Formats: sequence, structure tokens, C-alpha cells
Amino acid sequence: MKNRFILSVLVLLLAPVFFVLASPQPEATGPVKLTIAGRDGVYGNAMQYATDEYTKGHPDVTFDVLKLPYNSQYEKVVIDMKSGTGSYDLIMIDDPNAPQFQKAGWLASLDGMLKSKGETLDPDFISAAVKLGRYPYADSGTLYALPHVGNVEMFAYRTDLFDKYGLAKPATWDDVLADAQKLKQMDPNVTPVGFRGVKGNPIVSGFLPIFWAFGANVLENNKATVDSPQALAALQYFLKLKAYAPQAVDTWNSAQVRDALYGGRLAMVTEVWPSWVGDLNNPDKSQVVGKVMVTAHPRETAPSSPVIGAWLLGIPKASKNQSAAFDFLMYVTGKDMQIQLADQFGIAPSRKSAFQDPGLLKKYPWFPGQEAALENARARARTNKWPEIETTFGTYLQLALIGQMSAQDALKTANEKIQEIIQ
Amino acid sequence: MIKRRTMLKYIVKNRFYYAILFPAFAVVVFLTVYPVVQVVANSFYKYNFLSDERLFIGFKNFSSIISDDIFQTSFVNTIIFSFVGTLLEVGLGFALALLFYGKFFGRRPAMIIVIFPMMVSTMVVCSVWRTLYQFDIGLLNYLLKAAGLGPVGWLNNPHLALFSVILVDIWQWTPFAFIVLQAGLLSIQREVFEAASIDGAGYFRTVFSVTVPILWSQIVLVVLLRTIDTFRVFSKVYALTGGGPGNSTETVSFFIYREGFVYFNLGRASTASMYTLVVIALIAVVYIRQIMKEGDV
Amino acid sequence: MRATSLDRKGPLFWILFLIVLVLVLFPIYWIVVTAFKSPLENISSVPVFFPHGLFLKNFVEVIAGGFFGNLFNTLFVAVFSTLFSLLLSFLAGYALSRHRFPFHFNTVFLVWVLAVKILPPVVLAIPLYTLFVAAHLLNNLGGLIIVYQVYTLPYCIWMLFGFFKALPTEYEQAARIDGASNLGILWHIVLPLMRSGVIATSIFSIIMAWDEFLFALLFLRDPRLQTLPLKIVNFITEYETLWGQLMAIGLLATLPLLLFSGYVYRKMSSGFTMSLK
Repeated sequence: MKNRFILSVLVLLLAPVFFVLASPQPEATGPVKLTIAGRDGVYGNAMQYATDEYTKGHPDVTFDVLKLPYNSQYEKVVIDMKSGTGSYDLIMIDDPNAPQFQKAGWLASLDGMLKSKGETLDPDFISAAVKLGRYPYADSGTLYALPHVGNVEMFAYRTDLFDKYGLAKPATWDDVLADAQKLKQMDPNVTPVGFRGVKGNPIVSGFLPIFWAFGANVLENNKATVDSPQALAALQYFLKLKAYAPQAVDTWNSAQVRDALYGGRLAMVTEVWPSWVGDLNNPDKSQVVGKVMVTAHPRETAPSSPVIGAWLLGIPKASKNQSAAFDFLMYVTGKDMQIQLADQFGIAPSRKSAFQDPGLLKKYPWFPGQEAALENARARARTNKWPEIETTFGTYLQLALIGQMSAQDALKTANEKIQEIIQ
Repeated sequence: MIKRRTMLKYIVKNRFYYAILFPAFAVVVFLTVYPVVQVVANSFYKYNFLSDERLFIGFKNFSSIISDDIFQTSFVNTIIFSFVGTLLEVGLGFALALLFYGKFFGRRPAMIIVIFPMMVSTMVVCSVWRTLYQFDIGLLNYLLKAAGLGPVGWLNNPHLALFSVILVDIWQWTPFAFIVLQAGLLSIQREVFEAASIDGAGYFRTVFSVTVPILWSQIVLVVLLRTIDTFRVFSKVYALTGGGPGNSTETVSFFIYREGFVYFNLGRASTASMYTLVVIALIAVVYIRQIMKEGDV
Repeated sequence: MRATSLDRKGPLFWILFLIVLVLVLFPIYWIVVTAFKSPLENISSVPVFFPHGLFLKNFVEVIAGGFFGNLFNTLFVAVFSTLFSLLLSFLAGYALSRHRFPFHFNTVFLVWVLAVKILPPVVLAIPLYTLFVAAHLLNNLGGLIIVYQVYTLPYCIWMLFGFFKALPTEYEQAARIDGASNLGILWHIVLPLMRSGVIATSIFSIIMAWDEFLFALLFLRDPRLQTLPLKIVNFITEYETLWGQLMAIGLLATLPLLLFSGYVYRKMSSGFTMSLK
């Protein structure tokens, strides 16, 4: 009995070996398998579609498309590229993170690959978007990634409400405030304005257009300038605007803003991204079909500066299928595919010809405005310390928003901390 | 001083215990020695995973983190979370176990219902509570308004937000205390309670003088395990509030996550983890001392 | 507890009982109801208590998205991690609770194991990743089972240790006097007495493995190997939460756990008495 017991224990202890061997293994299919570390949501659906279409035309190339949330995708991609195992052949890169990857030398040069195929970069791409993939950040820098999604931050407002109350499209942020005041008096059922108040990336993304329109800057000549008089003016404006936003806006993230917009509870939204507004005219998902116009941000003392937030596609240097990955990269950023993805999934294009496609213009009447915004878009500071800067800035912005710190103190402290970070 | 021969004789005599301990010991060693050594080592370095910058700075991480106002706030919040959460979870779990003692109509389906919250994926739990807590259109404020009371800023009132998060944890994890304490209750023979009542002890007297002492080791175990789990609370903060409003729901594990996986400052993340470790290790040692004293070993 | 009426319950009991059920159930109710709502109903300004029709599309989309594949993966990993942990920790817990090892090893081992459990997965993830890359255990459900031992093993060891400590040693001593072997005692005497504890521990261990996200995220690459948590999080996208599908998959993912717990719970709560033979 004792021996049987020991035997069975030993067998169970050898179980891990069994697990490893018996575990469902992915089947090897086709000569080339490309693994893409992509995003979830509409981006994931779009990438899946693109890869399926590509395989139809190139049956020897199959894909594993990973659809991951923002943070998870970033963590996974960083850890993989650092370990050099080459698990991914293509990765999606959010443009503020591009400098980190480029500086670390993890991406393959696309210039080199273009040259070896005897091609040059198509000028159809909007250069503001392409520049993000270059390192150093200049038109002459080496190209490491191409813009797959030409995301640019926009402004949205309810045309039906504006018409009803005789308001014109706001040209300056002061107009926005004035319109908000009027709307509050005239219509108690709708909140005049909504934005994201969660600290960190959300509030910073929402605030930057205002910040820049007042002439302020996060960094100037490698020094933190978040406590400048212009910055203070911008923040004070923002706090004034808060009075016309929902009470709980401090905890609003994109899901709350989107649901409120689609549910008809907001008259203006100071920050919308193309992926948010794709379904605005879809009666199954939206209660404001045909009532919302998306446009570039108002200006103030400085011109309207739309925030660019493009999703780039790059090829890790450690990838074992660089050539095949490059071919797919060209395909998915090609004119035809961009038009299809914009049409079916609302993916913002990065090519001029896509923005001018008649079919898309009918479906997304704000495309001309979006294209102009993209061409004049402004990128966030190109530094590999951006996540820390953004989080710090966002924390103090929110402390001012909820009234725990005065605007002046918040900006001063934020500036000190940001200065420490870039040291 | 134990002489080697005596020690060998001792091991051989007790070889059974060594043998059955060994498998767990081996797995633990394989999986944990390298990572823990790394974490301890990293805490003395300024180390950024992305840029590969690695600089030995001795105790500078320790001093800079403990003087970081956000870390201090997060530490206080974590202790509040852990203390209040554990207290209520164990208390309510115990009360539930008492309530469910014995047989009655509908007991079995009721028990399944009561343990349901624990089974639901944390992400789904957080999403649902986020909706319920919504200021404008959430169910809770809707019911309050219907009852004539004002809406409550569950997640946007800085003084309330932490407790709203604790409430979610209580809802989800009280079943844990319930199950463990119920298992303990069930292994007490009925005769014990019958004897107590024959001796004239009333309900509460029995509970405090008879039940609690018998179940003491389980109660302490549940307190320990919940303290540890609540100390590590992360996904709830991440999903419900993002650390806000302000810093009112910042917790240590959220701080560590940010340092480790957003900034990839592994040095600082490791140092902050060490602080957590020290606190919990102290609690654990106290617990073990207490429980090893009981019984005969 | 009144001996003669341990099972008879007064009105106060039923009131408390009902309150408990309502408090526990209303979020569950919300989950269920949301799963059957259309996207429009989910963004409505007024909470919708009863969906206007049974919107089954959410469930259809969830299942079409490969739910059963993910379910199988999760089941495989959770069950085997738990079995493995239970075996190891049952043996180890017994040893630690019944024998004082030299050099305070009991305390050291228990605290070490706890330390590992309390260290945030964030700091453990990267060294473990490096370790598993070297051991070629990445992208493999078996590898995931092994790395899950970092969570489940400490938990099971501590839980069973606690239960063992609460178990009076008289039964074992009596058996030893009767000449039973160590293994015999373990198998015939201790194990049946520990049944409640083992079952309770197994429930938690499975739940932990079922819900684990970070290691599944980092250690798996093939979409076909993905576990349920990775799938669930896909419905909480950056810009919109797909409430209907999220709640639908949440419900579906909970069902196996519920069935399992209901089944073993019956075994545990039937109660038993054990008398010294």
C-alpha cells in the first residue's frame, strides 16, 4: 500500500511534464505565419478584417492577431521586444510611445526595406502623421513606422440644439463658454459640455487643445513650462468650463463621455476621437443620429491645435519575417484598405486620397474637417519620458479640477515635478 | 549545537515529514527564488527596463519613495482599505455563517446565491458597480432620488470614493469568509452546542464563549488572508476610479503598477514592493507565532 | 444556538435572510438584465429595469467570438493548477502543522511563501518571464499551470495549514497507538476529516486561477490559447464598454464555477460527525 501511494504521488508530481506536453499546441499552418500585437475594439476588428482579406489574396501567409487593451498591449510589446524573442512581426504603437521604442533601437528601419524593394514613400500619406514614425522627429529622420490610424482629436457639438437656440458654431473657446452659459439657461435637460476628468492620460488629452489654444506648452527648449501665465489662463478657463459639465465629470473616462453623447445628454464634447464617433449615425447604437457635427477645435489666442494621436505600425527588429511583414504593412496602409477600414469600422485614414473618397465623404460628412485637422495637427512632446510627464501633469490638473488645489499651486507643483522628471 | 550525526539520525527518523514537504518545497524554490532575489536586488538600483539604465544607488529609492507624498497617501489608503475591508468581511462572513447554520427551507439555493459574487470575474464586478455608482444615470442614485433623497457622489466625492471601492470588495469577498467559517462551524459537533444550551447559555453567550474560541484559528486565518488580499487591491482601483478623484483611491499596488509597467522604473517598483512585504511579513510572523503555540507540535 | 431548535427558524431569521439575499442579488440582477439589453437601452438616461425584449444577440456574439475555446483553456488551466496545488499543499501543510522542523523552518517557509504571494505580480512578472523564456515554457498552457503555482500554492498551503492546525491530533495519536503507518493515517484518518477544508480551499484556488489576468496576458501569445479573462477584457475597450456582451460573457463565465461550487458545496455542507473509534 505504501509503495502504491508513493508511486501515485510520484506520478502526480511528474504531472507538470505531462501538462507541458499535452497542452493544446497551436497548429503549424502555411509557410509564413505573422503575429500582430494589435489593439482591441474597432482596431482589432479592423485588423482581423485586413488580415483575412490579405490571406485570401496570399494563401501562404496566415496571421495571429492579438487584440489587446491599451495598457496590456504596451506591457506585452515592451517585455517581448526587450527580451528579443521576436514573438511579434508587427506591432501597433501609440505615437507618444514611439520615441521610446525608436530610441531603444527595437524597430526595423522601413527606409531600408522600401529601398530594397525599389520603392519610395507614397506622398499620399499626410506628412504630419508620417513624421511621428521618424526618428529623429523631423522630415529627414529615418522611418521606423507608418501611420495606420490617423487619429486626431476633434470637437463635437449638437447641430440640432445649436440650431434650436440660434447658436453658431463656436470659433473660439470663449464662444464655447458663452454657448454653454446660454444652453444652461435655455435647456435644463441637456448638459452643455462634457469631457474626461479621470486623472492622468484622460484629463491631459482633453485639456491639451485648450492648453495649446491659449498659447501654453508643456515643454519648451527642454524646460518644463507648465506654470507659464498662458498655462494659468488655460487652466482657469478649464475650471470655469467645469461649471457647465456634469457634476461627476471628475470621474468620467471615455466610456462615460461616449455613452452620454450617444445617449443625447451632452450638447458639446470638447474631446472626441474618430473611433468614438464612428457609430454616431447608426440607429442601432445612437440616439442622436444626424444630430452631431464633428469639427476642429476652436482657437483662442493661438490657432486651433488638434492633438494627433496616431496609431503607427512598426516591425520589430527581432522579427523573423520582416519581408512578409513589410508587404502586409504596405497593404494595410494602402489606399484601398484604408478606405475599406474607414467605411466598415470607422478607422481614421492617414492618406489624403482616402479622406477624399466620395463614399466616405457621404458617410462621414466631417471628413474634410478631419483631414485639415490632421494636416495641421500637433504632436505631444517627443520624449521617452512622456508617460511620466503626462501622469504627473494629469494628477495635478485633476487636483485643481476637484478643487483640492488652486490652479496656481497645481501648475507650480506640476512644473517642479516635471522638471525633475526630465532631468 | 546539533552534531551532524544526531541531525542525520533525526532526519531519518522523521523522513516522512521531510518527504511530503519536499514537492511543495521544490516547486516554491524553482519558481520563487530567482524572482524574489531580483526584486530585492532591484530595489537598490535606479533601473529603467526600457532604457536599460541601471545604476546602484543604495538606499536612495527607499528614502525617495517613503518621502513621496503620493506613496504616503497610497500607503494610508491601503491600510484603511485593508483594515475596514477585512473587519467588515470577516464580521459579516461570520454572521452569515451563523445565520445559515442548520437546515432550513431554501438553504442550499440560498448558499449558492450568497457565494455567487465571488465567482464573477473581477472585471465584470467592477463594470457593474461602476454603472451602479454612476452619478447621473446609475441605479443607486436613481433609487435614492426615487426615495426623495439626494444623489450621492459615490465615486466622485473624494471623501467617499475609497469606501465605495471597499464596498465592492466587501460585496465580492464576504462569501470567502462565509465559506471558510462555515466549514469550520460544520466541523464542530452538534453536541457541543447542545451541551452549552443545557448549561443555560443563551445564543450570543454561546457564540462568544463557545463558537468563537473553537473557530479561533480559522477566524485568524481568514483575517490574515483577507488582510493580505485587500492590501494588494489593484484591479478594483484601476477599473473603478483610476486612483482618483485626486489621490483619494491611490493604493500601494496601483503605485507599484504605475512605476513598474507604465514607467518601467523597476527599481522604484521593487522598493515599494519591499515596503509592502515588510508590513505583511510582520503581520504573518505574529500570526504564525500565535498559531504554532496552539496545539502540540 | 438553541439545541432543540437548531433547525427551526424564527421570523427574525427570515427577515435577515431576505435582506441578505437582496443585497447580494441586486448587482447580479443588474448583470443578468444588462446581458439581455440592446446597446440603446444600455446608454439610456433612466435605468432600464426590464429589457423590452430578450436581446439575445449579445450571447450570440460572445459565443461566436470563440467563447467555448477560451472556456476550455481556462478550465484546463484552473482545474489542473488546483489539483496540483492541492496535492502539494495537502502534504506540505500536514508536515508543517505536525512537525517542527529545525532552524524555525516552518515559520521561514510559511513567511517566504506568503511573501511571494504578497509581492505584486508586476514586479514578479518580468523575472518570471525571463525564467520561462529560458525554460521554453512560454505560450503553453502547461507553462501557465506551473506559473500559476505562484498564486495557488501559497494560498492552498496557508489555507490547509490553518485547517490542519484546527484539527485535533487525538485521532491521529489514537491511530498511531493502534499501529497505523504515517501514510495510512494521512489517507484514512486525516483526509476524511479535512474534507471541508480541502473543498473550501479548492473552490478558492479555482476561482483565483479562473480570474487571473496578468500572467495569462504575458505568457500566452497564440490567440487560440487565450483564457477567459483575456477575452472578457476585450469588451471593455478604450472608447466604449460593450455592456451587453460584457455581462453576457460574465454570466457565461460564471456558470461553470457556479456548477462546480454547487456540486462540491453539497458534499461539504452535508456535515458529518466523526467519533473516535
